[in-house]
Amino acid sequence: MFKNYLKIAWRNIMKNKVFSLINIIGLTIGLSASFVIGLMIYHDYTFDTFHQDGDRIYRVVTDFTSPEGEFHNPGVTIALESAIKDNSNFEVVNGFYTERPSKVENREAGTEFKWPNFVIFTKADYFDIFKYNFLAGNADQPLSNPNEVILTENRAKDYFPNLKPAQIVGKTLVYNDSLNVKVTGIVENFKKRTDIVFEEFLSYPTIMQTPRREFIQDNNWNSTNSSSQLFVKVKENANLDQIQNELNALSEEHIDEEMKQYGQTREFTMQPLEDIHFNENYGVYDWERGMASKALLRNLALVALFLLLLGCINFINLNTAQATQRAKEIGIRKTLGSSRNQLIWQFIGETFMLVVFSAILSIGLTKWLINVFSDFVPADLKFELIGTPLIIFGIVILLVIVTVLSGFYPALVLSKFNTVSVLKNHLGVGDKKVGLRKFLTVFQFTIAQIFIIGTLLVGKQINYLLNKDMGFKTEAVVSVYSPRAERELSKKELFADKLASIPQIKKLSIGGMAPASYNTNTSSTTVNNGKTEVQSDLQFIFGDTDYLDLFELELLAGRNFRNDTIREIVINETARKIYGFDTAESAIGEVVDFGDQKVPIVGVMADFYQRSLRTDIKPMALVGDWYRPDFSRYQAIHIAFQNDDAETLKTTLDNIESTYRSVYTEIEDYRVEFLDETIARFYDREKKTSKLLNWATGLSILISCLGLLGLVIYTTNRRIKEIGVRKVLGASVLQINTLLCKEFLILVAIAFIVAAPIAYYGVYDWLQDFSNKEPISFWVFLISGLAMIAFALVVISVKTLRAASVNPVNSLRSE
Amino acid sequence: MNTILSLNEATRTVNSGSNRVDLLNNITLNVKEGEFISLMGPSGSGKSTLLNCIGMLDSFTDGGYTFLGQPVHAMKEKNRTKLYKEYIGFVFQAYHLIDELNVWENIETPLLYKNIKSSERKALVADMLDRFNIVGKKDLFPMQLSGGQQQLVGIARALIGKPRLILADEPTGNLNSKQSTEIMELFSQLNKDGVTIIQATHSEKNASYGSRIVHLLDGKIVPQ
Repeated sequence: MFKNYLKIAWRNIMKNKVFSLINIIGLTIGLSASFVIGLMIYHDYTFDTFHQDGDRIYRVVTDFTSPEGEFHNPGVTIALESAIKDNSNFEVVNGFYTERPSKVENREAGTEFKWPNFVIFTKADYFDIFKYNFLAGNADQPLSNPNEVILTENRAKDYFPNLKPAQIVGKTLVYNDSLNVKVTGIVENFKKRTDIVFEEFLSYPTIMQTPRREFIQDNNWNSTNSSSQLFVKVKENANLDQIQNELNALSEEHIDEEMKQYGQTREFTMQPLEDIHFNENYGVYDWERGMASKALLRNLALVALFLLLLGCINFINLNTAQATQRAKEIGIRKTLGSSRNQLIWQFIGETFMLVVFSAILSIGLTKWLINVFSDFVPADLKFELIGTPLIIFGIVILLVIVTVLSGFYPALVLSKFNTVSVLKNHLGVGDKKVGLRKFLTVFQFTIAQIFIIGTLLVGKQINYLLNKDMGFKTEAVVSVYSPRAERELSKKELFADKLASIPQIKKLSIGGMAPASYNTNTSSTTVNNGKTEVQSDLQFIFGDTDYLDLFELELLAGRNFRNDTIREIVINETARKIYGFDTAESAIGEVVDFGDQKVPIVGVMADFYQRSLRTDIKPMALVGDWYRPDFSRYQAIHIAFQNDDAETLKTTLDNIESTYRSVYTEIEDYRVEFLDETIARFYDREKKTSKLLNWATGLSILISCLGLLGLVIYTTNRRIKEIGVRKVLGASVLQINTLLCKEFLILVAIAFIVAAPIAYYGVYDWLQDFSNKEPISFWVFLISGLAMIAFALVVISVKTLRAASVNPVNSLRSE
Repeated sequence: MNTILSLNEATRTVNSGSNRVDLLNNITLNVKEGEFISLMGPSGSGKSTLLNCIGMLDSFTDGGYTFLGQPVHAMKEKNRTKLYKEYIGFVFQAYHLIDELNVWENIETPLLYKNIKSSERKALVADMLDRFNIVGKKDLFPMQLSGGQQQLVGIARALIGKPRLILADEPTGNLNSKQSTEIMELFSQLNKDGVTIIQATHSEKNASYGSRIVHLLDGKIVPQ
């Protein structure tokens, strides 16, 4: 029986090649999207799920509020650990301190390693919270003395390439030139997905031999450093509400009077272990890998769902439309003794076969898609994850659901045919379902239309962001950054002097970051404007006297500061307004109080955007390099070119690099950034959204148009005789084409009417994230509506024109 | 002889717009096992409707229908399916073979619905192909056969389940006279082997193969 069904299914698929292809393409696209996105969701939701008692592990983090907004810090004040150490609700409390040593040496082998990452100072309790497998060394009392370190297997391989774990224990490493530390253990790296990525565990007392000593000893309730992390493991029956209340009480008890005065609050929050991978407020330790965003995953899942639905709808539409062709078979089977249930199963079986076929194609595609969508897919997501039992189970369930969704309704319709009327060829059946098919077609085109409008509007906003005047020169400017560890100025000056001889360079400036960057440096300030005392945060950019000119920042009043080290500042318009000066001129000569010093305002510059256009302009000041010779804020040479043409640009860049190499002879690292590229990078997220929308739009148009094509082929074939008669009566090809297209175009038009408000609302919502936005223009709606109709018209006409131009003699002869 | 089926004042009425139309009107008929009955009458006289109702594809709206001693008029759909699946074979004017299946598979299909084992099915189908001399055609699809060959397959398919009754609705309506004669000879032979046959036909010649002729007009049996 089953074999017979399979045979029939296969022969039907082969007989209606076009329809089968449409079905398979639609389902394959939907399934591929689902597989990739399903894998991503599985990947991201299985971070740190393997820890023993993981549901009892929390990170304690700090939330601040102030009149300006909320701030989050993944660290806590050092003092908190000892305050909760003896609380009976906790099984283990472990604070550790993250650090990035500038250098680690294995002097025995004569090797050194710069800036190793994922190094922490921790107590033994850490290993009670996170269970590591010790490959060597003592697991009972780890890290009990100063100057001890435990390495992970991977890190140990870097430091001691050819030694076995047991041989490494007892060796000595030298941190930052002076700190001698003995390796006391080697642990296995976590094999499963984790954000707990630490590689080197130094014993906590060791920190007292580093410059961090003061910070630790200070034990201050009012300073919060993100390096100072606190993990706890609560007891099995711990009362979480009570813990939170106690944390609140501690925070209240030790509140800073100054914070109170300015309306600021602080709260300690328990962040569950599984939240770490998703919560951007607090971040992860390996920030290069990036985090998962639940919102992004949700949007992706929606896209997959829609694509899958579109595929299912094609299936339903085409199969109910084709029903009459199968009617005869159904009638015969019934006279031969088939029950209705048997027929339903037969049709569902056929659907399942098609779905499985699509799924096999999709699995192949998934491998390829993971590469195409590398912007979205986490870098360490492996295709092999698809072999996980849970994923396989999920795929099977998904296939069954898709089969039922697309197959059940057509099966019901088909199996209901009345035997006698089928065999007598009295069939009106196919037409009764027209209403439903129209509804589903409208649904498909609504989705496609929403995607089209969304894509155009999002693209428009991104274009606006990229092209809007930032308020300073962004073209033909590069910044060459000095080596990270360099603190003094002399080499930068030497480098700048040498660069000055390159003729293509228009201007040079030694300074901090460019006017727009991800880095911010802020102080709180007070200004007495004659009427009131104003308190406000003030951001800084650092630069020499050429900085203002190079970036073409406009000076509205006053002058630039006289030299790099003089304590004078140039504020922007926003700061001027916040400080309450009526005009730029009136601000000149006034004094800004930084708490430890008072500095005069010598100039006011026009506002420019310090970050992406998503954010508002903040009060800001351009300052020199006050703390010389102790340390310098300058970290880059900014270079403006004479012109932007590609040929000379390349040679100039080469020149700059060789000059850099001649100054920094022993440094490999060379970091150069184009300012316009840096700015474009602000909008990576928007570009991702846009890329995703482009794909979703393209695919949904494809699936919907294929479905439409199927319906048109079917309807036109049924009306072949009518077309013949009309032609005999004198209708032209164009008239017939209009007649055939009309009923479909009406559906597309209805879809537009439904889609427009939904798309408007969606884009409106998305735009709320931007403080600078392009208004939603209505011609975009018009264009997308017309585009959709044009697509549909082309698809429909492919078939109808051919049908309309058939010689009526051929179509009428068969009667 | 046993009675295979009996109709007692069986009637089928349908509503056509606002009119009630009696397709079949008070049909009373006894069919004994081994009979070969020819239903005759002009188009629209109710021959096909009567065959469909006897074959349980349609049902009478009034009156009694007993098949092998069981009251069909009081049965549920499911039991009726079971009954006709077991005892009745259909032959149609338009053959009604499944286009997607080849000759072998078409003949095999009724056995699938009777849940007969694969090995037994093979044997039965092979026998049938042999008996009808169409072994060489077993892999062909209906489209590749002539009308007479298709009807041969149709009859083979009707017989494969070893039915006690064959209902044939104008079995030769689409065939030329030579093919018609062959098919009627075949029916006659089957009847001699003990199968009860009811056929609907326009042709006096075909009707003469039967053992009894029943004339229908406007849904009623015309007494002779």
